[in-house]
Amino acid sequence: MIGGSPSPTPSPPSLRATIIEAVGLERRFGDVPALASLSLGVQSGEIYGLVGPDGAGKTTALRILAGVIAATDGHALIQGRDPLTGASKVRASIGYMPQQYSLYGDLTIDENLRFFARMFCLKKAEYEARRAKLLDITRLQRFTDRRAEALSGGMYKKLALACALLHRPAALILDEPTNGVDPISRRELWALLFRFAQEGMAILVSTAYMDEAARCHRVGLLHRGRLLLEGRPADLTAALDNPVYSVVFDPTNTGFNDTLMRHRAIVTASLAQSEFRIVVECGAEAEVTRFLADGGATWTRVAPNLEELFLVREHEASRSTPRTQPTGGREA
Amino acid sequence: MRTELLAVITKELRQTVRDRRMLVMLLLAPVLQLTLLGFAVNLEVDHLPAALVDLDETPTSRAFLQAMVADPTFDVAITTDDPDTPILSGEARVVIVLPRRFEARLKTGRSNEVQVLVDGSNPIEAQAALDATRRFLEQRSVQQMASLAQEMAFRSGRALKRPSVEIKVRTLYNPSLKSAVYMVPGVAAVVLLIVTTVVSAMGIARERELGTIEQLLVTPLRPTVLLLGKMLPFAGIGLITAGMVLGVGTTIFRVPVRGPLSVVFVATVLYLMSTLGVGVFISTVARTQQQAILGGFFFLLPAILLSGFMSPIENMPDWIRVLAAINPVRYYVEILRSSLLKGAGFAELLRPLFALLIFGAGILGLGSLRFQKRIS
Repeated sequence: MIGGSPSPTPSPPSLRATIIEAVGLERRFGDVPALASLSLGVQSGEIYGLVGPDGAGKTTALRILAGVIAATDGHALIQGRDPLTGASKVRASIGYMPQQYSLYGDLTIDENLRFFARMFCLKKAEYEARRAKLLDITRLQRFTDRRAEALSGGMYKKLALACALLHRPAALILDEPTNGVDPISRRELWALLFRFAQEGMAILVSTAYMDEAARCHRVGLLHRGRLLLEGRPADLTAALDNPVYSVVFDPTNTGFNDTLMRHRAIVTASLAQSEFRIVVECGAEAEVTRFLADGGATWTRVAPNLEELFLVREHEASRSTPRTQPTGGREA
Repeated sequence: MRTELLAVITKELRQTVRDRRMLVMLLLAPVLQLTLLGFAVNLEVDHLPAALVDLDETPTSRAFLQAMVADPTFDVAITTDDPDTPILSGEARVVIVLPRRFEARLKTGRSNEVQVLVDGSNPIEAQAALDATRRFLEQRSVQQMASLAQEMAFRSGRALKRPSVEIKVRTLYNPSLKSAVYMVPGVAAVVLLIVTTVVSAMGIARERELGTIEQLLVTPLRPTVLLLGKMLPFAGIGLITAGMVLGVGTTIFRVPVRGPLSVVFVATVLYLMSTLGVGVFISTVARTQQQAILGGFFFLLPAILLSGFMSPIENMPDWIRVLAAINPVRYYVEILRSSLLKGAGFAELLRPLFALLIFGAGILGLGSLRFQKRIS
């Protein structure tokens, strides 16, 4: 129930029922493989984040699991039932929020809500109660007469979320829900997601934002249609062996950061919030620190973040698989 | 299922009413088009720009010119020496050349050859011009013969008898041969076709183009219900449009309603099945609304041209007549004309009604099959 008292921590996923399940999912668009043997499971009360570069197959995976398109091979299961062929019962347990605009722009908030409620054959009393609650938590009450096309990006996404939640699905599938949404609305959306997870919903969400991925209970990194790694964010970053440094440059030695970035032992470098961070290849620690010292820079070793972990893993994966392998596509 | 169907219908109507352009296209455009086309498409020939080349310049040839000026069919602009220029410049559609010695030959009772030049760049007009000219010349020569005969009779002192065979034509159903009465049913069919086919194709393509289909797919809504919910409002609007078009036809253009209206109603329902079915079929091929419009016209143009709406199907080559035989527009036009103008009832129109039913059921079935396949 929305608005129930929050439980302090989610119980270990292993004790809960698996709601969303992919078993060896494959999907080809013509000759182009978009997904290659993807397996994952999302338990009740869990938020699972799917990350990966554009074209990795995130949208394809979510669309198969939501029952929009068929898999070429493998099984998608929502509460043990096929979302595509399994009658209306399974549809009633899926909430899906596609990446692109998919509500009726020329209908108002209220009209959109009522339309989708009727698609799920909600009873009038039930609809009224759900509508009031969802409008309340999304803070959209004041705008119910506004057309969806006149809403801001954040408000639109909240309406889409409300429409996907009207029928209280057990599984919620969201495709980059915060894409193009301002930071405050982003926070609000995620607060809502945590609330639903605490109520026992299984949430599968794809995102391009690493701070969002870091907040998920578990994340999976998709690379060219394959799941490269998966686990709790803290466990994953802890397992990275590569040293990571936060570097402070000598202001007189201009151009040194460019030279540093071209150094062959630097896997990846990033500048975020005026902090310059580098990830160094394993075993090249001495070589890089000597190079830094020569350039007059100072450094401190820091714990890797999720973004660095993914960049390193993708870097490794790209080197081990030939470049010619096609990347995932997105069905139009 | 009723809840979902009603929800889709409500949504569809709401969106249509809210989209002013769509509403105008559905309700106002057909009436305007019918009015415009009804007035513009006129096959009657009146005030045909004509010229006379008088090479004879005698009292007889001048009398000929006067008769031509007096005839309402012709608008004699000029007399000239050069027969080609007026046609080239568009001043005349038809030029009559009276030869030298026109009067002399007539007086001696020998036949004359009058040359007639007709602008053939518009065959329909040329045909009409030719007919009018022929009629005029025949009249003239009968008069000429009569006066010649009178003269001869006068000279010989015997009483004159009129030529014995006289043709009297009585035209049935449209006695004054007004083209509006004939054209309006055709225009009505075409207008209805354009509106319902394109709008229904666009209505479905829009869901795909705007991505709303994605959200619908994850609901328990069945494709058949979705399709039904999208078609019924357009069928309703189509019926209203048909009623308005018929109203305009009978009031402004004085098209008679001789047959029972029930025939027109049943035919319109069957016809809408066909046009909406084609719309559904097009929408399964099109991805965007623009493609739906283009696809619509790909069907519309041949369907209109092969409907017998302007030119009779009987005059077309065999293989085109085969195509016309599967054209729903043709049957609808046929039914409307027979029923409105001739008063034909169900018994007389069983064949075209049945043809409409077959086509409508076929294309609607095929369209929905493809729609369901596309959607899952």
